[in-house]
Amino acid sequence: MARVRLENVSKHFDDVTAVDDLSIEIEDGEFVSFVGPSGCGKSTTMETVAGLTKPSEGTVYIGDNEVTNLAPKDRGVSMVFQNIALFPHMDVFENISFGLRLRKYDDEEVQRRVERAAEIVQLEGMLDRMPNELSGGQQQRVAIARAIVRNPDVFLMDEPLANLDAKLRVTMRTELQRLHRELEQTIIYVTHDQAEAMTMSNRIAVLDKGELQQIAAPLVCYNEPANLFVAGFIGSPSMNLIEGELVEEGLRTKNFTVEFDPAGVPDVRVGDSVTIGVRPEDLHLATDADSLGPIACRIDATADVIEPMGDETFVYLLLAEDVERTMDRDEQSTPDQLLMSVDAVTDIEAGRDVEIVFDAPAVHLFDTESGEALVHGIEDLVTDEETGRPTSPEQ
Amino acid sequence: MTGDDRSTIGGDLPAARDDRPAMGDDDPTTRDDRSPTRDLRPDGGHSSVEEPGEDRSSTGTSAEDVLIEDEGGRELDRGPFQRWVDRSIEDPERVYRSMFYVATVFFLFTTLFPFYWLLMVALTPEGNQQDIILTPNGFNPGAFVEVFQVIPFHWYVFNSFVIAAASTAIVLVVASLAGYAFGRLDFPAKGPLMLLVLVISFFPPAAFFIPLNDLFNTSFVALEPITGDGTLYNTPGAMVLPLSAIFMPLAIFILTTFYAQIPDGLEDAARVEGTTRLGALFRVVVPLSAPGVATAGVLTFIAVYNEFFFSFLMTDGQVENWAPLLEGILGYQGQYEVMYHLMAASSIIGVIPVAILVIVAQEKIVSGLTAGGLKE
Repeated sequence: MARVRLENVSKHFDDVTAVDDLSIEIEDGEFVSFVGPSGCGKSTTMETVAGLTKPSEGTVYIGDNEVTNLAPKDRGVSMVFQNIALFPHMDVFENISFGLRLRKYDDEEVQRRVERAAEIVQLEGMLDRMPNELSGGQQQRVAIARAIVRNPDVFLMDEPLANLDAKLRVTMRTELQRLHRELEQTIIYVTHDQAEAMTMSNRIAVLDKGELQQIAAPLVCYNEPANLFVAGFIGSPSMNLIEGELVEEGLRTKNFTVEFDPAGVPDVRVGDSVTIGVRPEDLHLATDADSLGPIACRIDATADVIEPMGDETFVYLLLAEDVERTMDRDEQSTPDQLLMSVDAVTDIEAGRDVEIVFDAPAVHLFDTESGEALVHGIEDLVTDEETGRPTSPEQ
Repeated sequence: MTGDDRSTIGGDLPAARDDRPAMGDDDPTTRDDRSPTRDLRPDGGHSSVEEPGEDRSSTGTSAEDVLIEDEGGRELDRGPFQRWVDRSIEDPERVYRSMFYVATVFFLFTTLFPFYWLLMVALTPEGNQQDIILTPNGFNPGAFVEVFQVIPFHWYVFNSFVIAAASTAIVLVVASLAGYAFGRLDFPAKGPLMLLVLVISFFPPAAFFIPLNDLFNTSFVALEPITGDGTLYNTPGAMVLPLSAIFMPLAIFILTTFYAQIPDGLEDAARVEGTTRLGALFRVVVPLSAPGVATAGVLTFIAVYNEFFFSFLMTDGQVENWAPLLEGILGYQGQYEVMYHLMAASSIIGVIPVAILVIVAQEKIVSGLTAGGLKE
């Protein structure tokens, strides 16, 4: 078990910068996920920790030792690969014991440790099988057993579930969490699937274009995204982001105005462009407005497409007539379209005009230019319609 | 071609096709129009094609009936060759099959007949060696024992075997390292360097001979404890070194293509688990490229074992000076007589080690030569 520290790590390939001046500190026993879209540098970052890639600049520490120039075998790390990477010419026992045998452990110790590891990942009785005789999930478990059998300081996982089918992925997700609880090892986990990162990690490191966007607990990333990228990436379906302009009475977008006191928003002035972000589940029908906090905005819209998901229903709302319609739920919203998530029992049908509302705590404001978050929740800035005083959730 | 295709071709005969739009298939006139054609036409594909032919050969009368009926039809009075052609058109597989047999027989003949003739020469007693065509002039299996009595032929075989094995070992180790670099690493001028390596293998060995012979006859103090006089002449080194170098490029080329196909993840996994790059090469990459390694190894072994030029010139031909098999065979050639039957017998004996090696490694070689481009 050990802390992992990256200091100002950069990696350049020819003219491409895969990792750009990255500094991260991972605590002993922590489960940290690197998450981001393809090509964001998360795998390269992990490879610099493993020692498979040498950083162009910066230093890597594992425990108290600088390991930047150490070979992978001397770093006390083990790794689970996306393509599983079991040695096809060795059976399960030989695969799991590969590292132990290289380190000249005596046969009894090897036997004992392999059996213990096989027990942890529930592979008893399969030690004499060849990898091609195993199912995908079993192969992945062999790979995990191979990683844990050496009792490494740091456990690296590079999209280990990406090649499994959806059902197995959910099962393995819980098993990995159980494993982390049992072993209490430092785990660094790379994934492009934000749901995997959210469910398993102590902290999430969101990366984009080789730069760290935010590193925080999953719910912090969700509730207080540091910038537009994190806001759009974390959460499924992703947050509605609508560009607008800060005016005297609040924020004006193409189709609606959110009223608040712009003076209370730090770092921007009236006239600056500001993006408002509201999560689909924070949009409500006006009929439900009573159960909410201070209402920040009311919008007239038309329900365009309804997607029942079972437990909830996604509603695509059109804010103006005759607009170009995009149907991709994971795309950032257009100014004319909003995505709302409502209860499955909600009475709504396509083509109907509806009034929707969202409350002040649900509003996120971002500086459009820099992408940085300005405010999460504007309940302190909203003037109550009746009393004329600023409202807050307590009132 | 499937049976359906064939029947479609038959059904598209002009008479049938012209009638079809006008009248349905149920119309009796249509059937009458088509009936002469249908007698000729294979109804059910290949098997029924043969029926008319068999009829003709077995019973003369029915064959004549068919001929009479055929009058005015498209095929008439076919000889055996025309029948074969017709069947081949119906079933092109027949052509490929016959071509396969012709080619196989040709190559088997050209490769095996020399051995057969060698055997005939070897079995013919000394002095009767004229006019051996297909049978030996006499029978003298004792030649296969005599070869070992006249000169220590087994030691010549042993020398060759050692030289070939040592060259193969050197080639495989060095070519593995080179193949790893060319196949799995990225470095500047990789393409031109690979080309340079291959170009070296195009040089005629004679081009290297004079400087090498000169070099190997030069005395080096450092070599004195090993070779006595400090030269490499009359040692295995004089053959192993140049032959390894000459056959290296082919092995590098074969191993490069194989090593390049081993997924990076496996090597990364081995390195994280505790091997160095070199360890990963010999523990993971090489075992997974076994067919390629076997192919490169066997090709090198055979090439060195059979090599003439350096083997003939780098020793003085004495068995104790590491003279190879070749010198042994030539050893039956005296000043006044040439013992052709012993040369033939020793040639056959000399082939045996290689033949055994090829049979043992055959499976790997075949998959190595054919699967190189497609291995997962």
